[in-house]
Amino acid sequence: MMKRILLVAQREFLATVSTKAFIIGLLIMPIVFAALGIIFPRLLNPRNFQTRGEVAVIDPSGHAIADIRTAFSPDRVAERREEQARLILGQAPAVVQQLAGGRSSQVTSAMTTAGILPELRLVERPSTADVQQEKAWLLDQSEPRHLALIVIHDNAVVPTDNTYGSYDTYVPSSADDRALGEIQQALQDGIVNARARLQGVDRSKVESLVRVVRGRSITVTRDSERSTVRGINQMLPMAFVVLMFMGVMTGGQSLMTSTVEEKSNRVMEVLLSALSPMELLAGKILGQLGVSLIALGLYVAMGLALLLSFAMFGLLNPWLILYLGIFFLLAYLTFGSLMVSVGAVVNDMREAQSLMMPLVLLLISPFWVWFPISMNPNSAFSTVVSFIPPVNTFAMLIRLTSTAPPPWWQVWLSIGVGVAGVAGALWFASKVFQIGLLMTGKPPNFATLLRWARQS
Amino acid sequence: MNDAITLKRVNKTFGATKAVSDLDLVVPRGALYGFIGPNGAGKTTTIRMIMSILFPDSGELSVLGHRSALEAKDRIGYLPEERGVYRKMRVGPFLTFMARLKGVPEAEIQPRVRRGLERVDLADTERKHCEDLSKGMQQKIQFIAAIIHHPDLLILDEPFSGLDPVSARSLREMVLEEHARGATILFSTHVMPHAEELCDHVIMINKGRKVLDDPVSAIRRRYDPRVIEFDPLEPGADLSPLSAVPEVESVERTDAGGCKILLRQGSSPSSVIPRLAIAVPPARIEIARPTLEEVFVKLVAA
Repeated sequence: MMKRILLVAQREFLATVSTKAFIIGLLIMPIVFAALGIIFPRLLNPRNFQTRGEVAVIDPSGHAIADIRTAFSPDRVAERREEQARLILGQAPAVVQQLAGGRSSQVTSAMTTAGILPELRLVERPSTADVQQEKAWLLDQSEPRHLALIVIHDNAVVPTDNTYGSYDTYVPSSADDRALGEIQQALQDGIVNARARLQGVDRSKVESLVRVVRGRSITVTRDSERSTVRGINQMLPMAFVVLMFMGVMTGGQSLMTSTVEEKSNRVMEVLLSALSPMELLAGKILGQLGVSLIALGLYVAMGLALLLSFAMFGLLNPWLILYLGIFFLLAYLTFGSLMVSVGAVVNDMREAQSLMMPLVLLLISPFWVWFPISMNPNSAFSTVVSFIPPVNTFAMLIRLTSTAPPPWWQVWLSIGVGVAGVAGALWFASKVFQIGLLMTGKPPNFATLLRWARQS
Repeated sequence: MNDAITLKRVNKTFGATKAVSDLDLVVPRGALYGFIGPNGAGKTTTIRMIMSILFPDSGELSVLGHRSALEAKDRIGYLPEERGVYRKMRVGPFLTFMARLKGVPEAEIQPRVRRGLERVDLADTERKHCEDLSKGMQQKIQFIAAIIHHPDLLILDEPFSGLDPVSARSLREMVLEEHARGATILFSTHVMPHAEELCDHVIMINKGRKVLDDPVSAIRRRYDPRVIEFDPLEPGADLSPLSAVPEVESVERTDAGGCKILLRQGSSPSSVIPRLAIAVPPARIEIARPTLEEVFVKLVAA
């Protein structure tokens, strides 16, 4: 019996992994994630947007205009960009700083030059200019574009009653937020400089006075200590859920399609002449488990390689990999059993879609519960979800990888519940599979399937 | 237990439809049995119960001495009516897979695959994908898969459907070869000439009930309609003297110039034929044999 199960498993495994679709599918996931993580942000990079146009300024007091002029000069714009980049890098998680390494100056200069500098031309209006008339200039949308009309308050530089004023910005309806951002930065820069100069204060001194740079943070483990990698504790649960989801989907999906194919190719009864339905079911689940493990193994290896390359391997608790294995097995067997049942009762993939809907909703449920659980891993909600199969496998994994792991008894109780869930799903699959295999005609709904399982 | 298959009062119902009703059936070892009946008679359901793919609601069943075919699957070859192949698999690996499932010793698999393919003139297809073969070719591959483990019992459900006459003949020869090897064969068909040509015994079911279970020769005897075909030596000869023979009930002329003579109930052809020959000199005088088809139609119509 075991020999026949293994033969089916071997055929199932080879038939799946040798298809182009599988190989492409296997590689497409990391590519999609790479695209999402690297290419997409680049495509959306706001620095690729160039602000170009004219900004009119009316400074009735005449105190600010000289500094604003300087603030709008190309040199000062570039300088501000570099300062900003340095500041962002200072605030960034340690992992990004680590990436930059000792080359922070290169990085900031690269960041500055990578972005296209704005071309803002300042149009100085007489201090007595009529604001109402100047608004008409704003509505003239010929080239170069008229981006904004700025009216500096009288007390913007010299306070009245110890209160500093600001400026008003008039913009056309087509104003772009990014252009306004550039203009506001330049105005703030100019006005602050004017105020400092008038007060006889060195601006850079004041700035260094009020700034406290984020200090070193060291993560101490039993064996070593190293710089704290911020964000990893937030990223880890999601990474594990995605890994498990991909593993389960890879095997579960091919389990269903291969069963549908066997039915539609009418090879099912030929197989049943040599095997019992249970041997066929067990062989198929085992074979696709191998397929899933290949996918999961590859992704886990890629993740570990990534951690190794950043020398962050020590931050990962090796027990988590073991738990990932256990919970993956439980989730795969549960979802795989349900998916193979769907495959057995339909005649083609089109019919499978409607029956798949509730399963897909269940499968993506971890992504709904991820946020509330990771925010509060030991809340009543998190605890309850950890004991409801089949979501419990994902929920417990999120909790295990969170900053506040659950007590061990909850973990093993959840595993116990998962095993019971697997037993239930396998029982359901064995009943439905047997009845569905030779069935043709209109596919049943889930209620009918449950009735079959109870009656047979 | 000398019988390959035994069914005792087997019943199977699907919802409101009674597919098989109180079916008794015995197929002795080494026999070649035809299982005939119109479409929807319950043949496939019965075969699936014999194969333990379906289970009877009541009744007893024994296959090769076991209560379930599952216990003897390696000794049974089965060509189902609903048959297919793994379309994306190559022919050689498909047959190898089936042989392994059937427990053929590893060293014998390849020689048997090659011999089987050569036997059906498909030796050059071993490396081809199954989906590249015609339907008839695929059917031959399925037949090889069904006999690759040299089964003691071979069950064929409508084996000739969809085959051209040449392929059907080749398959028929292979069935006979398997029988000659010693295998018990039960095959279902609704094409009567196939059953007539191959079987030594026929079981007929209609609407789930057995209506006939006899050797072919006995069926012919029993359903002999007492008809003698007669062609006169001289075309256009007067045939009225034939009606004067006491055992003759009626004479019906045929378009070809001859006639069909129906004998009275209980009369023996052997004593009547000489008298007929004296009454009108014959060119041909022959007892008309009923075909299974005629029996089939008669029973189904009844």
